[in-house]
Amino acid sequence: MILEDVLHKLAAGDRLTYDDGLALFRHPDVVAVGQLANVERERRHGDRTYFNRNMRIEVTNVCVASCLFCSFAKLEAGAPGAHTMTLEQAWRELEARMDDPPDEIHIVNGLHPDLPFSYYEDLLAGFKRIKPDIHMKCFTAVEIHFFAEHYGMTHARVLERLRRAGLDSLPGGGAEIFHDDVRRRIAHDKATAEQWLEVHRVAHGLGMRTNATMLYGHIETFEHRVDHLLRLRALQDETGGLQAFIPLAFHPDGNGMANLPAPTAMDALRTVAVSRLLLDNVAHVKAYWVSMTPEVAQIALRFGADDIDGTIVHETIYRAAGSRSPGALTAEQLVRLIQEAGRVPVQRDSLYHVVREHPRAVVPEAAVKVRDRKHAKHLEVLP
Amino acid sequence: MNAEDRRLRVAAVGYLNARPLYEGLDREPAAARMSLDCASPSEVARRVAEEEADFALMPVAAAASIGELRMARGCAIGSRGAVRSIVVVARQPIDTLTELAVDLSSRTSVVLARLVLRARRKGSEPRLLGKSPREAVEAVSGTRGAMVIGDPALEIEGRFPYALDLGLAWWELTGLPMVFAAWCGRAGALGADDERLLEGAKLAGLDRRDAMADEHAARTGLPAASLRAYLRDAIRYDLGDDERRGLQRFYDEAAAAGLLPRARVRFFDEDRRAAAPPASLDSLLSRAAGGERLSAAEGERLLSEASLFDLGIAADAVRKRKHPHDVVTYIVDRNVNYTNVCTTSCRFCAFYRPLGHEEAWVLSRDELARKLQEVVDAGGVQILLQGGLHPELRIEWYEDLFRWIKREFRLGLHALSPEEILHIGRLEGLTVRAVLERLHAAGLDSVPGGGAEILVDRVRRRIARAKCTSEQWLGVMRVAHQMGLRSSATMMYGTVDTARDRVAHLLKIRDLQDETGGFTAFFCWDFQHEKGTRIDPGDSGTVLYLRQQAVARVLLDNVAHVGASWVTQGPEVGQVALRFGADDFGSVMFEENVVSSAGTTFCMDAEAIERRIRAAGFKAARRNVRYDWLTTPA
Repeated sequence: MILEDVLHKLAAGDRLTYDDGLALFRHPDVVAVGQLANVERERRHGDRTYFNRNMRIEVTNVCVASCLFCSFAKLEAGAPGAHTMTLEQAWRELEARMDDPPDEIHIVNGLHPDLPFSYYEDLLAGFKRIKPDIHMKCFTAVEIHFFAEHYGMTHARVLERLRRAGLDSLPGGGAEIFHDDVRRRIAHDKATAEQWLEVHRVAHGLGMRTNATMLYGHIETFEHRVDHLLRLRALQDETGGLQAFIPLAFHPDGNGMANLPAPTAMDALRTVAVSRLLLDNVAHVKAYWVSMTPEVAQIALRFGADDIDGTIVHETIYRAAGSRSPGALTAEQLVRLIQEAGRVPVQRDSLYHVVREHPRAVVPEAAVKVRDRKHAKHLEVLP
Repeated sequence: MNAEDRRLRVAAVGYLNARPLYEGLDREPAAARMSLDCASPSEVARRVAEEEADFALMPVAAAASIGELRMARGCAIGSRGAVRSIVVVARQPIDTLTELAVDLSSRTSVVLARLVLRARRKGSEPRLLGKSPREAVEAVSGTRGAMVIGDPALEIEGRFPYALDLGLAWWELTGLPMVFAAWCGRAGALGADDERLLEGAKLAGLDRRDAMADEHAARTGLPAASLRAYLRDAIRYDLGDDERRGLQRFYDEAAAAGLLPRARVRFFDEDRRAAAPPASLDSLLSRAAGGERLSAAEGERLLSEASLFDLGIAADAVRKRKHPHDVVTYIVDRNVNYTNVCTTSCRFCAFYRPLGHEEAWVLSRDELARKLQEVVDAGGVQILLQGGLHPELRIEWYEDLFRWIKREFRLGLHALSPEEILHIGRLEGLTVRAVLERLHAAGLDSVPGGGAEILVDRVRRRIARAKCTSEQWLGVMRVAHQMGLRSSATMMYGTVDTARDRVAHLLKIRDLQDETGGFTAFFCWDFQHEKGTRIDPGDSGTVLYLRQQAVARVLLDNVAHVGASWVTQGPEVGQVALRFGADDFGSVMFEENVVSSAGTTFCMDAEAIERRIRAAGFKAARRNVRYDWLTTPA
């Protein structure tokens, strides 16, 4: 009985093995797996469920890489749909929202071959000028590695220069699937698994915090997923610098794997649950609502996730791949989503310091008065 | 409000044998404290369940269904031996009968008959045929007997060669009294002074028994002497230790046979001494998972206290026992709305337009033909045909339409919700039965369960004042089922309803299903709030949806299928719902005007549905409206 074995190991504080991870992914009863993950989640966080007020900006979709799963990147500047913001355009995104500003800016870009490195330094510095206390969570390890190669610097040098310009932490993107059997087929011309891990290792060595992701539900197997999670666990044993793990569901519209179906909600919940159980040294597992829809994200808060990400405001990468999720949710909507799931909303900053604790709903799970939830489902971008 | 501060609302069954208990409540001193109203047994129970009465003289089976009720010590309608008014009659020995005509709505008597007959026949029992009390007597012939209750039972005394008095049979079987009805209410509803008023009314009533018998004789033509003896000797009005043991025995045996939820006899005065310890949630969950029949109180407790996982696991266990093949079905059909003209103007509906409005329409035959041909081309097997309540479409219009659809397209017709059937009946001056018979003859195959919303009138009045009452909705379904038509049952929650209302809704469906067996499946969804509606959303959310569906699965022990409402919840949540009690994924959607005009638009083809079913760990099969598999599960 795999679930009993896992339960005993959890109670004894023993680590789950590769085989345990595989068995959990293959277990027929996803609800029972979720329940185990929920025990772990509640042991760590009780009912507390985190979110933040953040804003996504993608300043360029021009990209030299040709990842099979991507519907966002346009290979060359000047290609139809290719777009690069001027610095002023990028900064205006924040300036326009200064009456109710976000706490974090989350920037992910294509790998643009023709921008000077100073563009990125100026970009960061400009945001800090507008709002000195804003947290800049920018550039995936893939971008950092690209900068290092493209501009002839070490990872450490790239990170140090960007930090000086205002970089605070790294997002977790670009991890995709580490295993080479998969990575060389879907992402052959960007940072390798080792390079991705090395960037995070260096960042952690500099005292920076980072996140990690896994893009699942395309051509990878459960073995590849477990391998991916255990590589992250090993890195975390070494550095302790990962704050949160975010499973990302593959969306097939308009990319090189459009023939594949998207993973279903059941797979999303199972992946959250197994991630929570395997990544015993990572504090937080996110139910990224943009990837899994706000509704499934609510359920995921009972399948191991303790964080629902943020307000996002302007997401284009999943949107390009056919996601039905709204483009933005307000902080109030996030609070209600969390309360509806019977949890206690906690607004956090980018380093998981508490900004504001919200009350739990009056009656657990069952009776929450909610307005406009259905609205949220159909919202495109908030005005 | 404190029970001491206002007049108590009292309901009582209005039968002759109840009169000695309730009549005195209309007089001082009780009248100052209590306001009495007599009604049918089901109505009396409904008022307690929906908190329109504080306590009531109600049948003991109804009390068990509501659950967690208390009884007033000392007063009941019972028997120690022959009761005379509940008898099984036949033209050959009772224990050789193969069929029994009964009024299935008389639940306490039906349960008693089944327990007694099973015990006498070593477990076997005759097949039950639902009949009205008068029809039941006429149905007796050969191996078919009848259970006869009330005045008709007294009328036919001595008329049949074989008769089994069920009060006497119970007495012989158990050596204990039988209790048929008692004063019941929720814990704390009655104070000690109130119970003394009941006792006083009873003593006054017992003194007037002869007068009551004589009045009843004058009205009905039954012999006065027989009625006097009936009230004096057959019916017993005590509820003491012996009666409690008899009633507890009845409850225990009925629960063991799966006929009633588990129930414990508990008196109001015991709460005043010491509150009852709550039963453990774990044991309730394991009884739910085991498929036991649960009371309304137990359902309410699960809905508000059990964890999402525990509910999911219990519902999944029930689903698995009912459908051990791990097959999830879906249907290829199309929802066609024939008109958006409606006279009802429900506050939650964004679809309807008044007659003459510039956006009002009735589908033409050409438009219909195009839609139906698309269904045929897509391998569809039926259409779900519904519309507003159009004030000018006559029954002939529907008959012509149905015949044309059957002739030209050979599609199944899952058509016209109860509200529309009632509307056509009003328009034509026809009974529900007459409307259904004509439409059935024209090609109607089954009745969709839409418009049920919440089958609690306090809720219905607030969200859909012009719509039919709960009893009317259930009445249409009863007639349809009796004619052999099948229907689905639905629930739309999340407006002004409470957990108690939602559970009451489920139990009304369960009760009717006990009578008719005509519901194929249950679907629920939350109110889809959007522009154009004039009602505030209430309890809502994905987690609540899963909880609600899981509770429905465990409470509706007599309904075969539960469907996931992916059209309202989205395909993602619809898939997850398959692990929370659902064994059906609804239909491939061509269009659905009503929900989509409230803003919910999801689309899914057969392939996408099957993929989601398989990804959830099930095999997928197409079905028809009766849930027969049309494809090999794969």
